[in-house]
Amino acid sequence: MQASLFLVLGLALQGCGLVVDAIQLIYPITTDELDKICTRGQLHVGMAIEPRRPFVFPAIYTDEGLRVTGMDVELVREIADALSRRCKNGQTITPVLNLVRFRDLFVQLNEGRLDLFVSGVSANIPALGRDGLAYSMPYFYDGGIGGITQRSEVNERLRAQLREQLEKPESLAMPKQILAGFAVAVQEGTSAQMYAEANLTGIKLVVCDSLPAAFESEDPAIDVILSQQPVLQFMVTRVRKDWHQILMKTGKPWTVTREQYAVVMAEDNYRLRWFVNDLLFQLDDSGRLAKIRRRWLEEDYAFPRRAATEGLPFDVKGMVTHYDQGTCRVRAGQ
Amino acid sequence: MMKLWKTMVTGLVAILAVLVMSPEWARSVERAEAEETARLLAKLLSAGRMVIDQNQALIDDSHRGDKGFTPEVFEQQLIQEFRKQTGIDVSRIQNTPVSITVPPLARELLLAFVVASKEVIRDAQVVINQRGIGYKNFIPATYGSQAAARFSKQSHVRLKQTTLQPRNPKNEPDEYEASVLKWLSGRPRAEAYVSELTEEGRTLRVVMPIYYVRECLKCHGEPKGDLDISGYPKEGAREGDLAGAITVTTPLNLR
Repeated sequence: MQASLFLVLGLALQGCGLVVDAIQLIYPITTDELDKICTRGQLHVGMAIEPRRPFVFPAIYTDEGLRVTGMDVELVREIADALSRRCKNGQTITPVLNLVRFRDLFVQLNEGRLDLFVSGVSANIPALGRDGLAYSMPYFYDGGIGGITQRSEVNERLRAQLREQLEKPESLAMPKQILAGFAVAVQEGTSAQMYAEANLTGIKLVVCDSLPAAFESEDPAIDVILSQQPVLQFMVTRVRKDWHQILMKTGKPWTVTREQYAVVMAEDNYRLRWFVNDLLFQLDDSGRLAKIRRRWLEEDYAFPRRAATEGLPFDVKGMVTHYDQGTCRVRAGQ
Repeated sequence: MMKLWKTMVTGLVAILAVLVMSPEWARSVERAEAEETARLLAKLLSAGRMVIDQNQALIDDSHRGDKGFTPEVFEQQLIQEFRKQTGIDVSRIQNTPVSITVPPLARELLLAFVVASKEVIRDAQVVINQRGIGYKNFIPATYGSQAAARFSKQSHVRLKQTTLQPRNPKNEPDEYEASVLKWLSGRPRAEAYVSELTEEGRTLRVVMPIYYVRECLKCHGEPKGDLDISGYPKEGAREGDLAGAITVTTPLNLR
C-alpha cells in the first residue's frame, strides 16, 4: 500500500516537472534582473543627494524643469541606452533617478528599491556593513583620498611635514601621524571616513552629513577636510576658492590612498553586473570613457547649461522634502 | 427739417448696422481684444519674473532650508506686482465688468497663467528648499520658460521669452522676432510694444520688450565674458539695455 503511494506520488511529481518545463518552453519565465528591467521599461538608479561635483552636481531648476547632471549622470545615460539596445521589441529604458542621502543608497539597494547606484563610490576601500553589494569594474581610475584646508598655518605645517616625509621615505608611520592634532572632517559613510577610522591616529575626527556641511562648520571648527581628491580639486578650483589643496613638494596634490570608482549593484544581480562590466569595458576600450572624464573634469563649462541640455529628471516623490546639508559632530574615541 | 433729421438718423443707424455686421468690424474687435489680452499676458509674465527677481536672495540662501516661498506666497506677490503695473486685480478679475481694459478672453487666460505659474513654483519647492545649496538656477528666465511652456500647452495662445543672444537655444528668436528685436535694439527704452498681424491676418503677434534692470546685471552685466554664478559668460549689458522680449502669438478665428 505504502509502495503504491510512493509510486503514484513519484509519477505525479515527474508529471508536474514536465508540465512546468512545458510552460517554461512556451512562456519563458523571467528569471534574471535584465529581463525584469526590460519588462518594466525603467532602470531604478540611486544617486547621492549631497553634491559630489563633478560626479553629481546639485539638483537644480532648468528651462526643462528639475534636473540633475554630472559625470555619473552621463554614465547612467550610457547604461540606460545600452539596456534599450539589449531589450527586445524596441523597449526604451528610462532611467529613474532617486536622489537620496549617500548613506541611504546602500540601504535602498539592499532593500531592492534600486537596480544600481552610482555616485563616485570607491570600490577598493575596505568597508564594514557592505554585505550583499558588489562593484562593477572601475569607470574612474585616478581617484584618491586627499585633503584641503582653509587655514594657511595648517597648510604650512602640513607642507613642512610632507617635506620631511619626502626626505625620510623610510618613515612608513608618517601618513598615519601627519594629521595628528588636527580636526579632520569626513563625510559620513564615505571612503574618507573608512580610511580615517582605520588609519589615522591622534586626530580629532569630525563626521559631517555632507561636504557642504564640512565647508561651513564653525563648531566644531575644521582644520582639514579629507575627501575624494577629484571632488576636492573641483571644489577648490571652481566653487570654494577660499580653500586650498594640500600639495606635496612636487606640486602634486597630497593623497593618502588611491581609489577607483565603480557602479554598485546587488551581489546576486549577476547578469546585470556582467552587463555593466561589458559596457564599461567597451566604453573604456573605445576611448569614450576617457572623453567623458575629460568633459567633466577638465573642460570649462556651465553645469546649469549641461543640466538643461543633457541632465536627467529625478523622482521628486522619493526625494527628501527639505534637503538639508546637515551638520558636523566630533566622533568620540578616535 | 424733421424729415431730413429722420433720414439722417436712419442713415447713420444703417451705416452702423452694416459696420457692426461686417467682417471687417468683427475682425477689428477681435484684434483689439486679442491685442489687449496679449499685452496683459506679457505683463503678467513680466510681473512673475519680477517676483522671482525680488526673492532671488531668499531662494539662493544656502543657510536656510524651508524658504516659505510657497505657490500661495508667490501668487499673492504676483497679483500685487501685476496690479502695481496695470491697475488690474487678477484675484477679482471674474467680478470685474467686461471692458476694453479687461476683455473676456483676458479674464480666462490671465487666470490660467496664474495657475501655470503656481504649478511651476510648486514643482520647484524641492530645489528651492535645499539647505546648503546656494545657486539653484531658479531664476526669472527659468521660471519664465516653464510658466510660458505650461501655459502654452494648455491654451491656444503661445507665450515665449526670446532674445537675440539666448543662453537657452529654445529661446532663439524666429525670423519675425529677430527682426523686431533688431529694430527695438536700435531705439531708446520705451514702454511700447509691437503688434502685427501675420500669416495673412490669421495670427496676431505681440512683442513686448524687456530691459535690463540693476538686479539683472549681476549675471548679464560687465565685465563681458566673465563667467557669472551659473558659469555662463556675461553679456556686458548695462542698465536700460534691451534684454529681450516676451512674445505672444494668438491665432485669430475670423477672416
